[in-house]
Amino acid sequence: MTTIHQNARDVILAKLREKKIPQPEQFPLPDVVTLGDLDASPKRFEDNLLRMGGSLWPREEGESLEEAVRRKFPDVKICSATDEFKASFKITDLRSLKEANLVDVMVVRSPFGIAEMGAIFLSEKELSDHLADVHLAQHLIVLLSKSDLTANMHTAYQEREEFKSAAYGVLMSGPSATADIQGVLIRGAQGVRSLTVIWTD
Amino acid sequence: MSVKPVAHAHEGAKFLEEKAHYHFHDERLWDVRQKRDQEMHILPEWQELRQKASEIKEHTLANLPEYLEQFEKNAKANGIYVHWARDGEEHNRLVNEILQSHHAKSLIKSKSMITDECEMREYLEPQGITVTETDLGERIQQLDNQLPSHVVLPAVQKLTGDVAALFAKHYNTDPNDNDPHSLTEAQRQAARPIILNADAGMTGGNFLVAETGSFVVCTNEGNADLSANVTGLHIATLGIERIVPRMSDLGVFIRLLSRSALGSPITQYTTHFRKPKKNGEMHIILVDNGRSDRLAMDDFWSSLKCIRCGACMNTCPVYRRSGGQSYGAVYSGPIGAIIDPTFNKTKYSTLPFASTLNGSCTNVCPVKINIHEQIFKWRRVLVEEHEIPFVKKEIMKMAGRLLASPRLYRAAIKGTNVALSTMPRFILYNYLNPWGKHRELPHPVKQTFNSWYRQNRLKSAQKQSEKGGQVQ
Ligand code: SF4
Repeated sequence: MTTIHQNARDVILAKLREKKIPQPEQFPLPDVVTLGDLDASPKRFEDNLLRMGGSLWPREEGESLEEAVRRKFPDVKICSATDEFKASFKITDLRSLKEANLVDVMVVRSPFGIAEMGAIFLSEKELSDHLADVHLAQHLIVLLSKSDLTANMHTAYQEREEFKSAAYGVLMSGPSATADIQGVLIRGAQGVRSLTVIWTD
Repeated sequence: MSVKPVAHAHEGAKFLEEKAHYHFHDERLWDVRQKRDQEMHILPEWQELRQKASEIKEHTLANLPEYLEQFEKNAKANGIYVHWARDGEEHNRLVNEILQSHHAKSLIKSKSMITDECEMREYLEPQGITVTETDLGERIQQLDNQLPSHVVLPAVQKLTGDVAALFAKHYNTDPNDNDPHSLTEAQRQAARPIILNADAGMTGGNFLVAETGSFVVCTNEGNADLSANVTGLHIATLGIERIVPRMSDLGVFIRLLSRSALGSPITQYTTHFRKPKKNGEMHIILVDNGRSDRLAMDDFWSSLKCIRCGACMNTCPVYRRSGGQSYGAVYSGPIGAIIDPTFNKTKYSTLPFASTLNGSCTNVCPVKINIHEQIFKWRRVLVEEHEIPFVKKEIMKMAGRLLASPRLYRAAIKGTNVALSTMPRFILYNYLNPWGKHRELPHPVKQTFNSWYRQNRLKSAQKQSEKGGQVQ
């Protein structure tokens, strides 16, 4: 393997150095930009989350998180990835993909959301390294704080250090979706069938 | 080795005969194009975003070797194995070696055009490795033994009935099922066990980030996340042109990509991979496969800015009416017409002619590639290098009707200077163009030039000739 890739690498780089047409002095690196709407309000986040097929679940007066989730999903297997939420078992209890495949609802805490896209972020940190399990579960409940919203993709990439520090970082804007069969939009193609955000403040 | 040029016009004409398919295809893609327009109108900064995207890509391509080295250094420091492949063959060998060293027999894979470009499946399967596409559209195409038809919507040319028939054959479902929901569910149920039992996972990728040594994969199904994470081995294959300098540059591209592709603000999943997962192994293969040659082409290097959103395909009247399969290539539509000939000038010599040159592709392109101008330039190159079997076989066949009449030919050529100077354009873009046959524009002439000429100009021309003119 070594001989192939060493050789290929040097050949490709040498070729690029020797022959490329665009010259560096003609094309300077543009400044980092922050364009567009800088509204980071929960309302904007909610509108876009709904548009992407996600949903919001309100907590009733005096209701605990557990009660709220149970009101939405009675009688199913709930697995929690966060200490904030008490479930019969934790993500760290999952020993195999087959076990994860049997999880109906996974509850996670997201460190931040992006108002422009209704997107939430998850990394190996929130998932305790159980990266596949969150995608194998049937439904996802995301705990998010209104104070953890950033306005748009520019501000997200500039402000959130997670993009540079996480080993795995996924932005999810609603559930898995497809429109591959005659253009009909369907939620729940391969990954989670639904994604629901609950505000924790 | 002689290669037959793709019979694009012929295949496209066949697609047009399948009325239901053609109408759906045309309308579906036009709908997506309109959704893109709506998104564009919502964002006042749209043109600025396109300009930035274009500038970032141009800058990166102008400094490509340096950014690739920076990427490699950072990725390696993060524990990723970085490999380089000059061509498809080398890429496939690498993948095979990695899989063999892990005794991996089944590979689940998220959509990536580049592995189709390398013909990876064809290479791996005889080695005893099962490759399963996890993207629904891609899986449909795989089961039907076809290349993807569109960069974003691989199976867009199929109707529900086609999928039902295919799934009935492979998944034992009801052949008369005409509900996309239950068919999609059938795929989910069929795919899960394969995913759970896979030995290795593979993804493509949309962006490489030099600054962090990470790469980004955008999907709607989340199938890349599954493919990458369910096993301990993740192989990612990306073209060397996919790189951007900084993490912050992604803001520009993510904001443009899905809006241009489907008219949705973002894909459902935008996943950033920077390190192998705990106890896992991650390999990245950086593939050249003709890209360095393209970067050395004056007229065509900027096609490497492409982020594969498919907007140019959705807007192209020729693509919408001919279907992606008619291009006979991994990349179809306007972008295919530019990059396919760089893979094989003879085989894809017909594709730059599959355009009305209306410029719509250029207008929608989020990275501002001058697509229609490059298509035009390809025509010149192909004509100059005599790679014009299309002109010879197709257009000339049509032109023959005109040219078979010596009187008319002479009249057209010598009648006026205007006719002389517009003749080549007339042949290429008028009703003689096979595409013209299927367009409403322009209408086939109701009256031939000859009869019109006789009616309106013959007398005056004769008079002129009597006065010593040259008209015969
Ligand atoms: S050429 Fe432009 S419009 Fe076409 S797929 Fe590439 S980026 Fe999109």
